[in-house]
Amino acid sequence: METIDLLLNGLSGAFLPQNLLAVLVGVLLGLAVGALPALGPAAGVAILLPAIVNLDPTMAIAGLAGVYYGAMYGGAITSILIGVPGDSAAMMTVLDGYPMARRGEAGRALGMAVYASFVGGMIALVLMTFLSAWIARAALAFGPAEMTALIVLALCLVTVLGGSDPLKGFVALGLGLWVAMIGLDPISGIPRFTFSNIHLLDGIDFTIVVVGMYGLGQMFAELGSSETGGRSTANYSMASLFPRLSDFLRCKWHLVTSALIGFFIGVLPGAGATAATVFAYATAKRFSKTPEEFGKGSIEGVAAPESANNAASYSAMIPLFTLGIPGSGTTAVMLGGLLMLGLEPGPRLFSQQPEFIWTLIGTFYVGNVVLVFLTLLLIPALAALVFIRISLLFPIVVAVVFFGIYSVNYNVADVGICAIFGLAGYVLTRLQYPMLPVLLGVILGPLLERAIRRSLIISDGDVTIFWSSAISAIVLAIAAALLLWAIVGPLIRALIGRRRASA
Amino acid sequence: MTLFTRPRHLLMSLLVAAALPVMAAAQEYPGDRDVTLVVQSSAGGGSDIFARTVAAHLSELGLIDRQLLVENRPGGSGAVAYGYTARQAGNPYILQTVASSFFTTPLLGESAFGPEDFTPVAAIALDPYVLAVSARSGIESLDDLIAAGSITAGTTGVVNDQTILAALLAEETGLTIRSVPFDGSGEEMSAVLGGHIDAMFGNPSEILQQIESGELVALAVSTPERLESMPDIPTFRELGYDIEHTQMRAIVMPADVPEEAVAFWRNALEQLAASDLWQKEYIERHNLAPAFIAGEELEARFDALSASFEEQMRTAGLID
Repeated sequence: METIDLLLNGLSGAFLPQNLLAVLVGVLLGLAVGALPALGPAAGVAILLPAIVNLDPTMAIAGLAGVYYGAMYGGAITSILIGVPGDSAAMMTVLDGYPMARRGEAGRALGMAVYASFVGGMIALVLMTFLSAWIARAALAFGPAEMTALIVLALCLVTVLGGSDPLKGFVALGLGLWVAMIGLDPISGIPRFTFSNIHLLDGIDFTIVVVGMYGLGQMFAELGSSETGGRSTANYSMASLFPRLSDFLRCKWHLVTSALIGFFIGVLPGAGATAATVFAYATAKRFSKTPEEFGKGSIEGVAAPESANNAASYSAMIPLFTLGIPGSGTTAVMLGGLLMLGLEPGPRLFSQQPEFIWTLIGTFYVGNVVLVFLTLLLIPALAALVFIRISLLFPIVVAVVFFGIYSVNYNVADVGICAIFGLAGYVLTRLQYPMLPVLLGVILGPLLERAIRRSLIISDGDVTIFWSSAISAIVLAIAAALLLWAIVGPLIRALIGRRRASA
Repeated sequence: MTLFTRPRHLLMSLLVAAALPVMAAAQEYPGDRDVTLVVQSSAGGGSDIFARTVAAHLSELGLIDRQLLVENRPGGSGAVAYGYTARQAGNPYILQTVASSFFTTPLLGESAFGPEDFTPVAAIALDPYVLAVSARSGIESLDDLIAAGSITAGTTGVVNDQTILAALLAEETGLTIRSVPFDGSGEEMSAVLGGHIDAMFGNPSEILQQIESGELVALAVSTPERLESMPDIPTFRELGYDIEHTQMRAIVMPADVPEEAVAFWRNALEQLAASDLWQKEYIERHNLAPAFIAGEELEARFDALSASFEEQMRTAGLID
């Protein structure tokens, strides 16, 4: 019960005017950077950082954190409305959100995204409030070998995401893996596929790939597909601009499981919110009653990743506040902020600065509620965006995309690389290659490569490291069971079907 | 803020270029002109915190009249920022922070500009390294660790200050060390705390809290003297090993800048390094070692660093 007292104290601190202001500024900036293609939470936090160093620490970090979780709400907006992911964690939302918007159900999809973000966020916050110390310790058990097992499980799960043509799916996956290899080899330090171009030395930012392939590529493809731009406005009505409560009830279990997945993946060092959305989406599809609708505008396909990415944005901060360890790019920038403010992040922050920590957690609750109201109010206005003619909308979107890409590193080369991926996305779409495996290759490939190579350095080449810990053995067993079921399942069903037929 | 100062900046660089001949005739450097401090990493990193603190303190102490504007140019393992600065040879209105990438990226042959294309100004802080292990490992001293014979140690890059230290430690003690590169010090620390790797060399600001709370055990520090923040931890030298290496927080300028400009910044940084403000809000807050190294000594240090990085990269098979 002590925790509840502390939380109530924190909440009352969060309602102080200056903290409310900090949260509001943070979440508004977060919504904006999240919605702007290419600008993600890491960029948003970095933009705000120099401005907050002279503020009160609680205000400052409340604002920075607001940017982080605000971006998770904002990312869904452009994903759904124009098919350009607002940031990498919103990538999976495009898959079903955009088809829904094209069907005239933008309001419904946006509404689901808001519900999902809220529920995912709240579940994660409650878990964070009561379990943060424990979960941070538990996450430490995940070393390179355990990460390897987890990524293998992820790969087994995402097999459900392949398109109709397995060969094209594999080619696309290979392309993604290759793109992920460009840059300095993270383990041996040798430049790979950089062609002596310094702009390729640090690799290609995942956001640029996603925004280029999905955003620009699909836009190009859409331009070529028909005279009217392929949008049906027949179904649009006032009602289509508003969210629906029945959707929320239909997806409630997906929201809960996705939040748990997002929460757990988010805590792990180096995994990130984007990987969490892949996990959640694949799981939702596998356990859905209507998996065939996924990718064509399934409301569940919007619910799962949005719940997961919000949960992950909160849980990613847990190692930072409980152990002083940043687990992701955004939290690493926040750690810089803590240091600049003169705080000492570490295992004793909770015990030495309880007021700071609990007020901060209080602001998370407040921020999550504020975001729901802000976004629900905005939805009808935003959803009306689909009425804009493509000939007007696309030039604006392209300009915004290029602005976003440029402003991450102020690098013109990034804009060129993004355009190349746009072209590649167009070609792949015309040749009917699925785009998703490319992006999965870019996300999961580096995680798997690093995890495997680190494990082997640690074990000095002994492969038994991959299953010698209980965690990795269990995770691998689940992966094997999934694979086995994929093969045996249809056989059993066929067998039962035959018996029934003969009976 | 970075976002908004930027366009003004581009414009200013153009103006500077146009005004250069006039400036040469002007009396006082830097006059009424802002100077840019280019940082090779993004906001929030060690170099960025250093740059922003230098900029803020120089203004606060009245050592500069106009502003020192911090500009982040991440990318290309530092090559983007170093290239940007080096290409402005002769422009005295640009300064640059350096990190290990200042030496390693050119050695890899991936950058057109190396340390010789810059004018060293001064190093004003040294970031020490502490060798630490997880408290649960049961290792309590450097001798315990050496007795293990073969260990794994984390690093945040393939060749950096941490790998230099690992190589020195291996050479001095006969220990076999396998370096495991991680993407950041957060992941590295998680791996030590989780018992996945044996040891790490960490900057005090990163690991002091973990040591004080008993999560990590510090075995030795890489400075000539013990650190004020952890007086009980011996130096490697005290333990009988010839290991000394710190990360330099230094500032350089492009090549061919006027003598008076270098002297101006050297002087300003010397006064900054001697100030209480700097001592209290940077050195003590981040647990660094105070320093002021300039002129020939700094050049010699740069040469030595470049040589040890080169040797490291040769050992790692990155260059022949």
